[in-house]
Amino acid sequence: MESVRAKEPPTTTPKQQPQKLKPVHRMLLGFTGKEDRNIFNQIPAHVNKVHVDGLEHTKHDIVIKQVKDVLEAQSIGEICVRAHTAQSKLRKLDIFKDIQFFIDTSKGKQSGTNDYEVIFEVEERRLGGGIHGEVGTNDGAVRTAFKFLNLFGRAENVNMEYSYGTKMTSGSLMFSKPLFENPDILFRTGGYQHHGEYPWSGYRTIDRGLLADIQFPSRLGSHTLSCEGVWRELGCMNRTTAFAVREQAGHSLKYALKHVFARDHRDNNILPNKGTLFTCTQELAGVDDKVLGFVKHNMEFQAFKQLPLSTVFQLSLGGGIMKPLQSGTEVSIQDHFFLGGPLTLRGFNINAVGPSSDGNALGANAYWLGGLHLYTPLPFRIGKGGFDDHFRTHMFVNAGSLGNVNFDSNMKEDLQRLAETYRLSYGLGIVVRIGGLARLELNYCVPAQVRQGDSSNVGLQFGIGVTFS
Amino acid sequence: MASLLADAFAVEIGAKEPWPDNVSLYQPFEVGQILLPDFAACLGVKTYLSMCGLNYELVFKKNAEHMSPSGKVPFMHIGPFLISEFDPIVAFVNTKGFHLSSHLEETERGEMRAYMSLVDNVLLNAELYLSWCQEDVVTEVSRPRYGSVYPWPLNKVLSWKKYYEERRRLKAMGWAQKTLEEVCEEVKTCCQALSEKLDKNLYFFGDNPSELDALVYGHLYTLLTTVLPVSRFAEIIQEFDNLSQFVSRIDSKYHSKDLQR
Repeated sequence: MESVRAKEPPTTTPKQQPQKLKPVHRMLLGFTGKEDRNIFNQIPAHVNKVHVDGLEHTKHDIVIKQVKDVLEAQSIGEICVRAHTAQSKLRKLDIFKDIQFFIDTSKGKQSGTNDYEVIFEVEERRLGGGIHGEVGTNDGAVRTAFKFLNLFGRAENVNMEYSYGTKMTSGSLMFSKPLFENPDILFRTGGYQHHGEYPWSGYRTIDRGLLADIQFPSRLGSHTLSCEGVWRELGCMNRTTAFAVREQAGHSLKYALKHVFARDHRDNNILPNKGTLFTCTQELAGVDDKVLGFVKHNMEFQAFKQLPLSTVFQLSLGGGIMKPLQSGTEVSIQDHFFLGGPLTLRGFNINAVGPSSDGNALGANAYWLGGLHLYTPLPFRIGKGGFDDHFRTHMFVNAGSLGNVNFDSNMKEDLQRLAETYRLSYGLGIVVRIGGLARLELNYCVPAQVRQGDSSNVGLQFGIGVTFS
Repeated sequence: MASLLADAFAVEIGAKEPWPDNVSLYQPFEVGQILLPDFAACLGVKTYLSMCGLNYELVFKKNAEHMSPSGKVPFMHIGPFLISEFDPIVAFVNTKGFHLSSHLEETERGEMRAYMSLVDNVLLNAELYLSWCQEDVVTEVSRPRYGSVYPWPLNKVLSWKKYYEERRRLKAMGWAQKTLEEVCEEVKTCCQALSEKLDKNLYFFGDNPSELDALVYGHLYTLLTTVLPVSRFAEIIQEFDNLSQFVSRIDSKYHSKDLQR
């Protein structure tokens, strides 16, 4: 088995001073707190070597890049932290089954008292995959994935996935590779086929596409730049589909450049207690033979604040607008915004707010959505241990609107109308976190303000999903 | 099965209202897109509506085939109803109280159904054969026209997809395996039967037109006037004088006047 070694730095004298050991003993006896971390950071240490054992196929340069920061450590505490960071970077490459590290004193001829070696033991894997359940908004799917890992030694992975669900079936083949030996900068390319059903609008689609994207972090958050070409085939679900939707049946081609910026500093993605989330999406798309078809913007913001008595307050805001770049461009119903649902605009049926025709929602090119929530722990105890931690009661107020904005004429009036024709609902209910995977809500909703064409749901509403607002 | 009953029921309910003003007939673009069999079908329906004296608006849509509830053109949008293909449209028009064949006896009506069935089995399939099984026509006319309304690469992908679908259907019906000679023989036999039935009359059943006249006109006019690399069918039809005269007679009576909005 090969191993990677780091350069050996100059030596110092061996054996620690006795007084520095006492705080360590104190920690072992159960004392915790800030001062112990400081103590650990005060014990000087030096890393002579970093070994990585267990590499057969992986190229050395990519592994060296993840672990070389460990050499910079100046104290015991720092060694632990840096080794832990290196371990998570290696884990992110997704090519190792197991990664463990050990810190040992340096045993070379020229080693001093404060010299240590860090040894990583990894087990490579070339195949991966599994079967998981997935949750969408009020629908579920089973996903089977099969991966070929580390094809050429630098964490190039090929991922084949097939997902079968209640409203959609999809398969994809993706090739991914970290760029510049950095697992945070990921390049992906591949193709997919996706069958989806949209009963609120009465149509089903088959999308076949090719996509390439790069994901990279920045100081503010993570960015994803993608370009995609999709062949879309829209068909009506049944005879009663509205004619406005039927007119869009057939084949079309869409190519899009998309930029997504995400900054998630919440402490949990299902039931956060504190933190903020901000995502922002821009899309420039062309349809059929119009290279510049439309521009679409979408923003979402959530903020959570912990209040006394274990209550949490949430504010969420969202909005989006779509502008055709050439006058007279018809935007397909598949690109429209939709509003309404048990986790977003509660009290309204899923995607059933806004312009509609014959009972089918048509969507629109602009929307806004806001919500205020107050979460409290359950007033009674259900089970033992941390079981109650997964439950909350919440009271909420949701408001939003969806409408078409005509950019050619009276744009200001349309925007004003979008603000004035707001929908409002309030209520209370129970939120359950399911295994870190999904959020389940059972709410009693009162839709206070409903407009013509909306489909509302007074009373109990059940929702399960991952995205919420 | 359930939807057939639901359709019939819905049509019966719609029969109470008179012919509305905003009836639309949807078909693919005539200039660059439509193919031989679809053109014949659309022309048959248009002629039938003109014979009944009914107004309609002709709408050209590149996705008419996909909009249609049965996948075939032409289809009619009348109030809340969508009706596609010749026979259902005729049945619907009858429920509205417009009949072309009400003067016929039961036996004559049976005969008419038989002839219409013959035309559907022979002429329609011959048109499909010509469009999708004759290599010259396929590469020079059918595939380019079918894909002309889509951007690259969809124009290539969709035209090949349609080619395989149509060939599979014709193979299942036993037509793809026939040679051009065999198909010409069938067309000739069919025209012979039609010619004998027409004889020296103005229309197939006396002096008034019927559904059969509209259907036959649609197919014969298409075969006579469409310019294709293979023109055998036109020559066959022209051997029967009374059929050619029938076509020009109906053309001048119902299509030189502009009855559409």
